[in-house]
Amino acid sequence: MNGWILAATLTLAAGLTASLWGVATGPLRRRVVAQNLATAVACPGLLLLAQGYDRPSYVDLALVLALLGPVGTLVFARLLAGELAEDPPRARGVTWAAAGLGAVVVLALCAVTGPGRATAKLLVTGALLIGGNLVASRALTGGAGGTGRA
Amino acid sequence: MDDAVIAVALVLVAACATVAVATRDPARQALVLSVLGVVLAVLFTVLQAPDVGLSQLAVGSALTPLLLLLTVRKVRRRGQREESGR
Repeated sequence: MNGWILAATLTLAAGLTASLWGVATGPLRRRVVAQNLATAVACPGLLLLAQGYDRPSYVDLALVLALLGPVGTLVFARLLAGELAEDPPRARGVTWAAAGLGAVVVLALCAVTGPGRATAKLLVTGALLIGGNLVASRALTGGAGGTGRA
Repeated sequence: MDDAVIAVALVLVAACATVAVATRDPARQALVLSVLGVVLAVLFTVLQAPDVGLSQLAVGSALTPLLLLLTVRKVRRRGQREESGR
Protein backbone atom coordinates (compact mmCIF):
# COMPACT_ATOMS: atom_id res chain seq x y z
CA MET A 1 0.00 0.00 0.00
CA ASN A 2 2.71 2.51 0.86
CA GLY A 3 6.46 2.69 0.82
CA TRP A 4 6.93 2.52 4.59
CA ILE A 5 5.25 -0.87 4.86
CA LEU A 6 7.23 -2.07 1.83
CA ALA A 7 10.46 -0.96 3.49
CA ALA A 8 9.39 -2.64 6.75
CA THR A 9 8.57 -5.87 4.88
CA LEU A 10 11.94 -5.92 3.16
CA THR A 11 13.84 -5.09 6.35
CA LEU A 12 12.04 -7.72 8.41
CA ALA A 13 12.21 -10.40 5.72
CA ALA A 14 15.91 -9.95 5.00
CA GLY A 15 17.11 -9.28 8.54
CA LEU A 16 15.03 -11.85 10.39
CA THR A 17 15.67 -14.55 7.80
CA ALA A 18 19.40 -13.93 8.10
CA SER A 19 19.30 -14.01 11.90
CA LEU A 20 17.08 -17.11 11.90
CA TRP A 21 19.61 -18.85 9.66
CA GLY A 22 22.43 -17.72 11.91
CA VAL A 23 20.70 -18.84 15.08
CA ALA A 24 19.76 -22.23 13.66
CA THR A 25 23.17 -23.32 12.36
CA GLY A 26 26.82 -22.97 13.15
CA PRO A 27 28.83 -22.68 16.35
CA LEU A 28 27.52 -21.03 19.52
CA ARG A 29 29.44 -17.80 18.95
CA ARG A 30 27.58 -17.22 15.67
CA ARG A 31 24.24 -18.02 17.28
CA VAL A 32 24.49 -15.40 20.02
CA VAL A 33 25.49 -12.74 17.48
CA ALA A 34 22.51 -13.72 15.31
CA GLN A 35 20.17 -13.45 18.30
CA ASN A 36 21.48 -9.95 18.96
CA LEU A 37 20.99 -9.11 15.28
CA ALA A 38 17.34 -10.22 15.43
CA THR A 39 16.42 -7.57 18.00
CA ALA A 40 18.57 -4.96 16.24
CA VAL A 41 16.72 -5.51 12.97
CA ALA A 42 13.20 -6.00 14.34
CA CYS A 43 13.29 -2.63 16.12
CA PRO A 44 13.72 -0.50 12.95
CA GLY A 45 11.15 -2.77 11.28
CA LEU A 46 8.61 -1.99 13.99
CA LEU A 47 9.35 1.74 13.67
CA LEU A 48 8.72 1.55 9.91
CA LEU A 49 5.50 -0.36 10.52
CA ALA A 50 4.31 2.30 12.97
CA GLN A 51 4.89 4.95 10.31
CA GLY A 52 3.30 2.79 7.61
CA TYR A 53 0.11 2.15 9.56
CA ASP A 54 0.09 5.82 10.66
CA ARG A 55 -0.30 4.79 14.31
CA PRO A 56 2.25 6.66 16.45
CA SER A 57 1.37 4.52 19.48
CA TYR A 58 3.00 1.51 17.77
CA VAL A 59 6.35 3.20 18.45
CA ASP A 60 5.96 1.90 22.02
CA LEU A 61 6.68 -1.62 20.75
CA ALA A 62 9.97 -0.52 19.23
CA LEU A 63 10.83 1.36 22.42
CA VAL A 64 10.22 -1.72 24.58
CA LEU A 65 12.21 -3.89 22.16
CA ALA A 66 15.10 -1.42 22.14
CA LEU A 67 15.08 -1.58 25.95
CA LEU A 68 14.63 -5.33 26.44
CA GLY A 69 16.54 -6.73 23.46
CA PRO A 70 20.00 -5.86 24.79
CA VAL A 71 18.91 -7.11 28.23
CA GLY A 72 18.18 -10.51 26.67
CA THR A 73 21.55 -10.53 24.95
CA LEU A 74 23.26 -9.63 28.23
CA VAL A 75 21.49 -12.58 29.87
CA PHE A 76 23.01 -14.87 27.26
CA ALA A 77 26.42 -13.23 27.57
CA ARG A 78 26.36 -13.76 31.33
CA LEU A 79 24.95 -17.27 31.53
CA LEU A 80 26.82 -18.72 28.54
CA ALA A 81 30.07 -17.00 29.57
CA GLY A 82 31.94 -20.26 30.10
CA GLU A 83 31.28 -21.58 26.61
CA LEU A 84 31.76 -18.19 24.96
CA ALA A 85 35.12 -17.59 26.65
CA GLU A 86 36.63 -20.63 24.89
CA ASP A 87 35.49 -19.39 21.48
CA PRO A 88 34.74 -15.65 21.63
CA PRO A 89 32.34 -14.22 19.03
CA ARG A 90 33.40 -11.61 16.52
CA ALA A 91 30.60 -9.27 15.54
CA ARG A 92 32.07 -5.94 14.50
CA GLY A 93 30.70 -5.85 10.94
CA VAL A 94 27.23 -7.08 11.88
CA THR A 95 27.00 -4.69 14.82
CA TRP A 96 27.91 -1.62 12.81
CA ALA A 97 25.61 -2.64 9.94
CA ALA A 98 22.68 -2.99 12.37
CA ALA A 99 23.55 0.30 14.07
CA GLY A 100 23.71 2.03 10.68
CA LEU A 101 20.33 0.61 9.70
CA GLY A 102 18.81 1.83 12.95
CA ALA A 103 20.32 5.30 12.52
CA VAL A 104 19.11 5.60 8.92
CA VAL A 105 15.56 4.52 9.80
CA VAL A 106 15.31 6.79 12.85
CA LEU A 107 16.65 9.81 10.95
CA ALA A 108 14.30 9.22 8.01
CA LEU A 109 11.31 8.94 10.36
CA CYS A 110 12.38 12.07 12.22
CA ALA A 111 12.60 13.97 8.94
CA VAL A 112 9.03 12.91 8.09
CA THR A 113 7.58 13.49 11.55
CA GLY A 114 8.84 17.03 12.04
CA PRO A 115 9.73 18.59 15.38
CA GLY A 116 7.69 17.70 18.43
CA ARG A 117 7.24 15.09 21.13
CA ALA A 118 6.99 12.26 18.60
CA THR A 119 10.43 13.13 17.24
CA ALA A 120 11.87 13.18 20.74
CA LYS A 121 10.42 9.71 21.36
CA LEU A 122 11.89 8.47 18.08
CA LEU A 123 15.30 9.86 18.99
CA VAL A 124 15.16 8.24 22.44
CA THR A 125 14.23 4.93 20.81
CA GLY A 126 17.08 5.23 18.34
CA ALA A 127 19.60 6.12 21.02
CA LEU A 128 18.48 3.19 23.17
CA LEU A 129 18.62 0.87 20.16
CA ILE A 130 22.10 1.79 19.01
CA GLY A 131 23.58 2.22 22.48
CA GLY A 132 22.06 -1.02 23.74
CA ASN A 133 23.34 -2.89 20.74
CA LEU A 134 26.87 -1.61 21.09
CA VAL A 135 26.87 -2.48 24.81
CA ALA A 136 25.43 -5.94 24.16
CA SER A 137 27.84 -6.88 21.41
CA ARG A 138 30.76 -5.55 23.42
CA ALA A 139 29.63 -7.76 26.30
CA LEU A 140 29.45 -10.72 23.91
CA THR A 141 32.79 -10.23 22.24
CA GLY A 142 34.92 -8.70 24.97
CA GLY A 143 33.62 -9.12 28.47
CA ALA A 144 32.26 -12.62 27.98
CA GLY A 145 34.61 -14.07 30.54
CA GLY A 146 33.73 -11.43 33.10
CA THR A 147 37.29 -10.10 32.93
CA GLY A 148 36.28 -6.59 31.96
CA ARG A 149 35.90 -4.71 28.71
CA ALA A 150 37.93 -5.61 25.66
CA MET B 1 0.90 -4.97 0.48
CA ASP B 2 -0.56 -5.44 3.93
CA ASP B 3 -1.07 -9.10 3.08
CA ALA B 4 2.55 -9.40 2.01
CA VAL B 5 3.91 -8.28 5.38
CA ILE B 6 1.49 -10.63 7.18
CA ALA B 7 2.63 -13.50 4.96
CA VAL B 8 6.28 -12.73 5.66
CA ALA B 9 5.66 -12.66 9.41
CA LEU B 10 3.68 -15.92 9.31
CA VAL B 11 6.38 -17.73 7.32
CA LEU B 12 9.05 -16.47 9.71
CA VAL B 13 7.06 -17.65 12.74
CA ALA B 14 6.53 -21.08 11.19
CA ALA B 15 10.20 -21.47 10.28
CA CYS B 16 11.40 -20.22 13.65
CA ALA B 17 9.06 -22.50 15.60
CA THR B 18 10.16 -25.49 13.52
CA VAL B 19 13.80 -24.69 14.22
CA ALA B 20 13.03 -24.31 17.93
CA VAL B 21 11.48 -27.77 17.99
CA ALA B 22 14.30 -29.32 15.96
CA THR B 23 17.11 -27.92 18.13
CA ARG B 24 18.27 -30.43 20.74
CA ASP B 25 20.62 -28.56 23.08
CA PRO B 26 18.61 -26.47 25.61
CA ALA B 27 21.04 -23.51 25.58
CA ARG B 28 20.85 -23.20 21.80
CA GLN B 29 17.11 -23.73 21.99
CA ALA B 30 16.84 -20.74 24.34
CA LEU B 31 18.52 -18.58 21.68
CA VAL B 32 16.03 -19.73 19.03
CA LEU B 33 13.14 -19.14 21.46
CA SER B 34 14.29 -15.58 22.05
CA VAL B 35 14.26 -14.93 18.28
CA LEU B 36 10.84 -16.61 18.12
CA GLY B 37 9.55 -14.17 20.74
CA VAL B 38 10.64 -11.20 18.63
CA VAL B 39 9.15 -12.67 15.44
CA LEU B 40 5.85 -13.41 17.21
CA ALA B 41 5.71 -9.81 18.45
CA VAL B 42 6.16 -8.62 14.85
CA LEU B 43 3.35 -10.96 13.75
CA PHE B 44 0.99 -9.60 16.42
CA THR B 45 1.86 -6.06 15.35
CA VAL B 46 1.07 -6.62 11.68
CA LEU B 47 -2.20 -8.29 12.75
CA GLN B 48 -3.03 -4.99 14.51
CA ALA B 49 -2.72 -6.34 18.05
CA PRO B 50 0.14 -4.25 19.48
CA ASP B 51 -0.96 -4.80 23.10
CA VAL B 52 -0.47 -8.56 22.72
CA GLY B 53 2.81 -7.87 20.94
CA LEU B 54 3.98 -5.72 23.82
CA SER B 55 3.45 -8.44 26.40
CA GLN B 56 4.96 -11.02 24.04
CA LEU B 57 8.08 -8.87 23.72
CA ALA B 58 8.39 -8.47 27.46
CA VAL B 59 8.02 -12.20 28.13
CA GLY B 60 9.60 -13.70 25.04
CA SER B 61 12.73 -11.69 24.43
CA ALA B 62 14.27 -11.68 27.90
CA LEU B 63 12.28 -13.57 30.53
CA THR B 64 11.81 -16.98 28.87
CA PRO B 65 15.51 -17.37 27.91
CA LEU B 66 16.56 -16.25 31.40
CA LEU B 67 14.38 -18.86 33.10
CA LEU B 68 15.48 -21.57 30.66
CA LEU B 69 19.18 -20.85 31.06
CA LEU B 70 18.93 -20.66 34.85
CA THR B 71 17.17 -24.03 34.89
CA VAL B 72 19.75 -25.60 32.59
CA ARG B 73 22.59 -24.29 34.75
CA LYS B 74 21.00 -25.59 37.95
CA VAL B 75 20.32 -29.05 36.48
CA ARG B 76 23.88 -29.31 35.13
CA ARG B 77 25.38 -28.31 38.48
CA ARG B 78 23.30 -30.88 40.32
CA GLY B 79 24.36 -33.55 37.82
CA GLN B 80 28.02 -32.70 38.27
CA ARG B 81 27.74 -32.74 42.07
CA GLU B 82 26.12 -36.17 42.05
CA GLU B 83 28.78 -37.52 39.69
CA SER B 84 31.62 -36.24 41.86
CA GLY B 85 29.88 -37.53 45.01
CA ARG B 86 29.88 -41.09 43.81
